[in-house]
Amino acid sequence: MRPISRLGSLGLGIYFWAFVAFLFVPLVVLVIFSVNDSTIPTLPLSGFTTRWFHQAFSNGTLTTALVRSVVIALAAGVLATAFGIMASLGLLALRGRALTLALAVLLLPLVVPYICLAVGLLILVQEVSAQPTLVAVVLGHSVIALPFAILVILPRLRSLDPAMNEAALDLGASSFAALRYITLPLLTPALVSSGIICFVTSFDEFAIASFLAPSGQPTYPIFLYASARTPALLPEVIAIGAIIIAGSLLLVVLAEGGRRWAERRLIGANVSPAGALAGQDGETGAPVFATAEPG
Amino acid sequence: MTDTQDRGKGQVSLVSLTKRFGPVAAVDSIDLEIPSGGFFSLLGPSGCGKTTTLRLIAGFEQPSSGRVLLDGRDMAGTPPSKRPVNTVFQSYALFPHLRVFDNVAFGLRRAHVPRSEVQRRVGETLDLVQLSDLAARKPGQLSGGQQQRVALARALVLRPAVLLLDEPLGALDAKLRRQLQVELKQLQTRVGITFVYVTHDQEEALTMSDRIAVINHGRIEQAASPRDLYEEPANAFVADFLGVSNLMDGSVVGSAGDAAQVRLANGFTVDVGRGDISRRGEVKVVIRPERVLLEPTGATGPNRIPGMVTNVVYLGSGIQLAVHLASGDTITALVPNSDDDTASAWSPGVSVTCHLPANALRVLGDGVTAHQPHSGAVT
Repeated sequence: MRPISRLGSLGLGIYFWAFVAFLFVPLVVLVIFSVNDSTIPTLPLSGFTTRWFHQAFSNGTLTTALVRSVVIALAAGVLATAFGIMASLGLLALRGRALTLALAVLLLPLVVPYICLAVGLLILVQEVSAQPTLVAVVLGHSVIALPFAILVILPRLRSLDPAMNEAALDLGASSFAALRYITLPLLTPALVSSGIICFVTSFDEFAIASFLAPSGQPTYPIFLYASARTPALLPEVIAIGAIIIAGSLLLVVLAEGGRRWAERRLIGANVSPAGALAGQDGETGAPVFATAEPG
Repeated sequence: MTDTQDRGKGQVSLVSLTKRFGPVAAVDSIDLEIPSGGFFSLLGPSGCGKTTTLRLIAGFEQPSSGRVLLDGRDMAGTPPSKRPVNTVFQSYALFPHLRVFDNVAFGLRRAHVPRSEVQRRVGETLDLVQLSDLAARKPGQLSGGQQQRVALARALVLRPAVLLLDEPLGALDAKLRRQLQVELKQLQTRVGITFVYVTHDQEEALTMSDRIAVINHGRIEQAASPRDLYEEPANAFVADFLGVSNLMDGSVVGSAGDAAQVRLANGFTVDVGRGDISRRGEVKVVIRPERVLLEPTGATGPNRIPGMVTNVVYLGSGIQLAVHLASGDTITALVPNSDDDTASAWSPGVSVTCHLPANALRVLGDGVTAHQPHSGAVT
């Protein structure tokens, strides 16, 4: 690489910090105003308080909405990951044009605007049950999360030596036992990643939930959207936002720690650290079971 | 599958076995008898169909036509999990998340063998492959050679009638490979299970096998004992694939008692005492380098052709010479390093007379001799 001139490195530094600010200032602002002792979020700051947090948590509608969203996201995360496993196993057997076609269909929700999907789902739900339900929200979220699950699970599945499945069958295991005892345990890190990504996808999804959630049972993004237009509730909304940010950070740390722990448990010692954060694509740096393969 | 000591003798018969992938026949109408309790190798260049043959026996591939019989029982419709056959994979395919012990116990647990017996049999098998100390390790913490033994133990613990090995030593370095060749052969003798061993390494096959089938383009070129394959190759492919062979073109011009008279290029005629000596017309004649005798230039007698040394390779135990014969052929001769002068006596440009003894020269057939492995032995 060519050495960078002083001016260039200064410019690069400015660009870097501007970019960081662009990413994180909104979050920092949110956290600052969540402890600002004023009903209107404007400068100058008027003092430290935690009362917005107390108020937010004593607001029954808000906490219920939050719990509702967590339950929906858990269900959607588990469902999408389960479907993701099955879809990936199927895709593994496909080759050539059939693979391209199947993959395109399965990943379609990535490019279809959620709002269109939401309208379509609403029409479908009304045809089937006449009443929007939270179950419909879970199903809708599973649909949009499925592509993420596949994108995380399939590469990991492809990285496994296909002879391992054959070895399990050869040793007398049924296809199901081979899946249960060999393939699924080896997929664990990818399944953890998939579950978290699908959870997050569902947790903050607005369009589908707003169409399909029954009135009176808002998920937390719907509640926030509605509350943000009520000035009196704004500080509470900000407080909740700050908590969600903290929660997300914790989730990321726990997920990465958990993934590494699972990887270590799976393979034994000497796990290359290359899988860190890149873990979202399910690749471990150097799968030990590939070492035996010549060339 | 329960714990049966007598799961059959382990005799495999392949009957007109064919496997086509699209228009290509990877295995082309193979007939083969693999006797029970022996070390049988499928030897051939890569892509010759030997691994496909193994996978057909294991049940991972279904034959396009023909049959796989195990102790007389047709295996069609029996899935791999129900065949009394286990496989050692080329990549070992160890389960990286399971300890060595659990890898070996995997098959027993699937068969619902009682816990105490699992303990005992896994322990015995790990002893057999000298891995008892490493039972608690994960495969990733083992060396290549150790992983290979785990794969072996994992298959052997089920006491299969036949053990299939797909180039199991391919990923190991040369020294370890030679050591494990000996160990594998000893192990096979001790457990008495039929081993079917796929390899492209002729030296490996010759070292370990009781019998070898040489495969090329999905067909069996010759199936015989290592000695017969080396000494009595049925055709040019077998002669060339096993060891170094000097192949010469010639035409049969007559016969003299128990030998055919073969005219090589440039008018040299030699007596050929072995092989298909009743053949007429254009033939291929073969002689092994170690059977070529070098005599001082000017020596006379039958089967002697003058030549000139063109290349000398010092091998340690011997010296390999390339000799350009007056007949136009360039042959390889192997001279044992028997005294101090041997190494210095030869250098490029030295004239020499090559004696090609009649009882070392063979007329090769060109047919495929799967059914009559000894058809070449008409001497």
